[in-house]
Amino acid sequence: MTFDDIKKVWDMQSNETMYAINESTMRKNIVSKKEKGIHITNVSELLSIVANLGSGTLIMMMGKSNLYLLILSLWMLATGTYCLVARIKRLRGKKKFDRTMLGDLDHAIDIASYQVRFSSLLRWTIIPIALLIVLSKTDSLLWIVSLLLFFAITFYASGWEHNYYKRRLGNLLKLRENLANF
Amino acid sequence: MTEKHQSDILNNWIGQYKGLLFKITRSYAFTPMDRDDLFQEITVQIWRSIPSFRGECAVMTWLYRIALNTAIRFSQREKKQSQNKIDIDHANYVLIETDNTSDDKLSWLYHEISKLHEIDRSICLLLLEGFSYKEMAEIVGITESNIGVRINRVKKYLTDKSKNYDF
Repeated sequence: MTFDDIKKVWDMQSNETMYAINESTMRKNIVSKKEKGIHITNVSELLSIVANLGSGTLIMMMGKSNLYLLILSLWMLATGTYCLVARIKRLRGKKKFDRTMLGDLDHAIDIASYQVRFSSLLRWTIIPIALLIVLSKTDSLLWIVSLLLFFAITFYASGWEHNYYKRRLGNLLKLRENLANF
Repeated sequence: MTEKHQSDILNNWIGQYKGLLFKITRSYAFTPMDRDDLFQEITVQIWRSIPSFRGECAVMTWLYRIALNTAIRFSQREKKQSQNKIDIDHANYVLIETDNTSDDKLSWLYHEISKLHEIDRSICLLLLEGFSYKEMAEIVGITESNIGVRINRVKKYLTDKSKNYDF
């Protein structure tokens, strides 16, 4: 067959009747997807800001006499503030992307890169927090071991999240490479 | 823009261009469940895009861009997840197949299109729909010469494959 014959096969199909749309189910599903559509970046940013600023303030109020707790509270306040500034920058500085498939892909890559950086920051901040908490109360070995175990698990689990974003970014970059290079 | 206005535009677009969406859905999703998921995902993305549509290009061009982008990313994701899916609730499918999906030549063509890389698949669909190189370059965001190279590749692939098919 020539390509023109192939095109004729394509043109023969009836657009209207390939599928019928179950409209009530579609409407119901779209409404539910729309409601679920709160962006994951928004949620994790807000959670980090509230958790860090909230805990930092609380620890500062409660642990004034302990140097390590004071440093910890400052650390958490600084992390929370950094997350807040990063969020404001992200929202204000919305870059313009072409209205093309490549532009959409670049936009997705931009969001994915931000998620990778953000999850990495939150992951590595676990280590100083763990050390400062342990140093703030060194009188019980059980307490130290339990805390270190808890933070080790948290660090490990946050690696899953970080790797998920990294994989997604990698896939998008691969796709972009395929689109831009031929 | 009110939600009602947005929904009216969506219904209008879906009504007018559902054929286009069906073709993309069929080219990127291969089980009824996946087709349903993809069709809904495309619809949601179109719904979200409505406030940013300024009429700088034709609605059809706009819909192609959104639908193909959604389909390409869906296809990448589904490769990993499809094994874990269980097909359960047929009653709630959004897309119900009609007899027109069973034409042999057309099924062969969709089968061959499905073997192309996701990006070439979208070029192939645009080519079959009769878009010009310039329009394709505008939708995809790459140069016309790049489009030309890909089109030659797609055409050669399909004509070569058709030689092995007994019509």
